Parts: sequence; C-alpha cells; structure tokens
Amino acid sequence: MLISRFIFFSANRRLARAPNLLQRFGPSKRIQSCGYVKSAKNNYKKPTSHPVMNVETQSSRSWSAYVIPAALLGFGGLVAFLHYNDERRAIKKGQGNNRGYGAVAAPIIGGPFTLVNTENQIVNEQDFLGNWVLLYFGYTSSPDIGPDQAQMMAEAIDTLESKENLKVLPVFVTIDPQRDTPAQLRAYLKEFDPRIVGLTGPVSAVRQMAQEYRVFFRKVEEEGDDYLVESSHNMYLLDPKMKVVRFFGLEYNAEELSKEILKELKKHQPKAE
Amino acid sequence: MMLEAYAAGKRDEIHTDVLLKARQACYKARDAFYSCLEMQSDKKPTEIGSVGLLYPTECKRSRDEYVMNCRASWVKHFDRQYCKTKRTQRLLDDRETRRG
Repeated sequence: MLISRFIFFSANRRLARAPNLLQRFGPSKRIQSCGYVKSAKNNYKKPTSHPVMNVETQSSRSWSAYVIPAALLGFGGLVAFLHYNDERRAIKKGQGNNRGYGAVAAPIIGGPFTLVNTENQIVNEQDFLGNWVLLYFGYTSSPDIGPDQAQMMAEAIDTLESKENLKVLPVFVTIDPQRDTPAQLRAYLKEFDPRIVGLTGPVSAVRQMAQEYRVFFRKVEEEGDDYLVESSHNMYLLDPKMKVVRFFGLEYNAEELSKEILKELKKHQPKAE
Repeated sequence: MMLEAYAAGKRDEIHTDVLLKARQACYKARDAFYSCLEMQSDKKPTEIGSVGLLYPTECKRSRDEYVMNCRASWVKHFDRQYCKTKRTQRLLDDRETRRG
C-alpha cells in the first residue's frame, strides 16, 4: 500500500515538472502508445470525427489516473498525520488539573532585590518575608498621580489596620533614584504615613528590581534636571512568601483597594501560616 | 560594594518643591489659572503658554503665579492634560453643529 502511494507521489511530482515531462513520459508514453494503437484499431469501425477526441481523452485519462488518486491519498495521509499529532499533544481528560485550581500557570513576577531604605540601611527581600506587602513603584516628583496613589495606599492600609486589624506593609520604591535620595524619600513619605517604607538605591539595582516586577519606566520631558518619569502604574500585593498575588491599576480608590486586599487575605488564610 | 557607597555618599539635599505644601500651592495656582481661562473664554487668546496652550492677556498674572509655584515639567504636564480635556469636550459638545 505504501509502495504504491510512493509510486503515485513520484509520478505526481514528475507530472508537475514541465521540462522533464517529455523524458519522464517515457514509460507512460509506451503505455499510451499501446493504448493509442489499440484505440486507433477500434476507431476504424467508428466515424472519423472521433479519433481526435479519442486521442485527447486517452491522454487526459492517463493524466487523471495519476492525479486524482494521488491527491486523495496525499490528503488522506496529511489528515492522518495531523490526527496523530493531535492525539499525541492532547492532555487526557482529568490529567490536566493536577496542580489545582489556585496555582494558575502565570509568569513569575518578582524576585530578589537589594536596596537602601530611608534610614540609609541596606534591605533585601528577605527582610519582608512573613509580611503581606503592598508595593508601589513611584517617584517623588510626580505631579499628580504619585501623590494620589501614595495617599490611597496610606488610606487603605489605615482602613485595614483599624477596621480589620490586618497588618499590610506598604512599600514605596522609587523609579527616579537619581533625584530621590533616602532623605528626600523620608521627607516625602512622612507626610502620607510614617509606616510607608521607602526604598531607593543605585540606578542599576532599581532597574533590576523593576525588571523583575515587570515595571516599565522612562524619563520624559527632560530639561536638564527637571523631568517626569512615565511608568506603568501598578500596585502589587505580595503574600508573606514574597510572591505576587494581585496587582491593582489606577482605577482603584482607597475603599475598593482595602476591600480587594481583604478578599485576598481571607482567601489565603487557610493556606497561610 | 556599590550599595554601601551609595548609602554613605549621597548628599542630604531635599527637593522641597515636591513636598505637600509646595504641591498644594501649585495645585491652587493651577486651578486659579484654569478658572481664569474658563471665565475669559470669549476673549481672544494671544499669549502662548507651553505645549501649545494659548491664553488671553487678562490671565497673564495668574499664569505667572502658576509658573512660579510649579515646576516647569509639571506646568507642561498640566497644560497638556488641560488641552486634551478641552479637545474631547469640544468633540463631545459639537454634535449639533456638525452632522454627517
């Protein structure tokens, strides 16, 4: 069966290449000539207008004898191959959800970082293990969004602590380390909430952390020392193991934020500790 | 390493013009300027602000207050935002005059 398919395939390919046609037609020509002779003999009995048509049908029949079965077999082979491939790649029912519903295969956001806090001490992510952390990447020279977000963070943390007695640690990482010194951060964050931890550092350390947390930031409107930083505004909620569980965009206000954080904490309660 | 050097060597200067009081003064001056613009919207704008914002001469004083109280990049940022909202307002309000 396979051998005949091969012969048909090769014949098909031969028919497709026009320059080689005359040479390759050798064997088939012989057959054709036999058939031609035979039909010519048969045609002597029929009226003479037919031999021309008969010749043509003879040649077209030998053509189609190759093409149509070859095409069908080729198509069948392709379908069989695809089907086999699908079966091989498919996950059988009941086997796919081994990891459970909560652990969705999402990109791992986050990672180790080493920065300087507002007291000029070096901190890394190990210092935050065991706490829920609300992480915001901003800068002190932000005209409107930065202060709004920081204010919102402070209010949400306050609500959670006073009403639900849940401690979430707010962290403000600056994406403008060249202008935001630890002293600057301290003065800035003091006005919102003394609990907010400010982190800065050399540009390379900040850039590495931003890359781990998939935060985009870029200087715009640069006029010497005066510039704005365009960034992807996202607030990240990290669980005590420093894994990102949720992020909040600009559309949340303080109440919604505290409500959502509460929901996440309650969800993780049976798993935590 | 680099971090220790950073922690030790940074100067202790603070940019006070982004702290709370300065921010609030800036917002106030900005709002004053924009309300002046709204009030004088029938006058012909002849002065040029930043990023293409035009304003009439009557508002020149509030403009100077505004520029003095805010950083240049903030001025540009707020002006750009204002122009954008004005443009979308115009598009939304123009439904009667332009048809088809």
